[in-house]
Amino acid sequence: MAEQGRYLYAVCRGLTPAAVDGIVGLGGRRLDLVAEDDLVGLVSPVDLDEYGEEGLRRNLERLEWLEEAARGHDAVVQAAAAIAPTAPTRLATIFYDDDAVRQRLREQHDAIVAALDRVEDHEEWSVKVLTRTVDASPEPVAVLASGAEYLRAKRAEQEARLAGDRDAHVVAEQVHEALVAVVAASRRLPPQDPRLAGHEGTMVHNAAYLVHRERSEEFVALVQGQTEAHPDVVVDARGPWPPYSFAMLDDT
Amino acid sequence: MTESDLSRPAPAATAYQDRPQPANLADILERVLDKGIIIAGDIRVNLLDIELLTVKIRLLVVSVDKAEEMGIDWWRHDPMLTVKERGLAEENQELRDRLEELESAQGSGSGKGSRQGTRQGSRGG
Repeated sequence: MAEQGRYLYAVCRGLTPAAVDGIVGLGGRRLDLVAEDDLVGLVSPVDLDEYGEEGLRRNLERLEWLEEAARGHDAVVQAAAAIAPTAPTRLATIFYDDDAVRQRLREQHDAIVAALDRVEDHEEWSVKVLTRTVDASPEPVAVLASGAEYLRAKRAEQEARLAGDRDAHVVAEQVHEALVAVVAASRRLPPQDPRLAGHEGTMVHNAAYLVHRERSEEFVALVQGQTEAHPDVVVDARGPWPPYSFAMLDDT
Repeated sequence: MTESDLSRPAPAATAYQDRPQPANLADILERVLDKGIIIAGDIRVNLLDIELLTVKIRLLVVSVDKAEEMGIDWWRHDPMLTVKERGLAEENQELRDRLEELESAQGSGSGKGSRQGTRQGSRGG
């Protein structure tokens, strides 16, 4: 068997072995808890062939491997966040043994506790605003008489689209302003590429919102209200997520 | 699609099972790659490699051109990206300067001051 490392998914508070029974780690491996003071590291064994320095260097460049690891990592974080205050670690945080995990938890104790305090009882929602794709109608182009007309039509179409994008950007700001009223924190994220996200239209807004569990219904109702108020854009809300975007250490 | 995603604001205990699956890969990557707590593990992938990966993924995740076209540039304030971009730009400029230096040194050394002259010289020798 290949040499084993310890993959750290998240640091939690008040997590018990019984609570994580049934949650499976990367590669179908069992999860273990590594306790240090009031913190608990959620770990599983990984083969260092795959997750050692050489393996990672090779694997991180392969999108299929990255996707599987990212989804596996997220599945564990999600499961933990559903039962205890959870601060996810960055993908591929790996130690040689549990003592090293404990030592790092000790060193970062106060910063991790501060991060957990921020996210406890909160969940993250992802909200995006996208322009609606105009139904492509190829027939007017087909009946155009000349190349010049075609180019004029093309340009008009492009200008209309750009103006539409600008309007959508204004709407996105209104949506954001409305949502921040009920959230504990918000964080804007870069717009995503359609090649990876698979969306149509232009993503004019992508943000994460940290919402207290008790206010999540209120938040969802607010999103729904915004969707109805702005039928000319798509307001795409997904969640709840574990509080990835808000469980940051202060110095990062 | 928005309506169906929001139709079940589930109670907290089961909320995570209600997240639409599979979640969009872009959503997951932007979270697991540079959000959350970042603590150094024992396995250190060469930082340069990680940065290359991050830049690559960012290029995938971020429609830079689209964002700039629309005047959205707040993400430039992201220290991770900005530092890296500046680093690359500086390195690029440095390389250009060195190349120019080398070219002009070579040009004056060959006596003809042109690349063609240099090539002819090396072929003749």
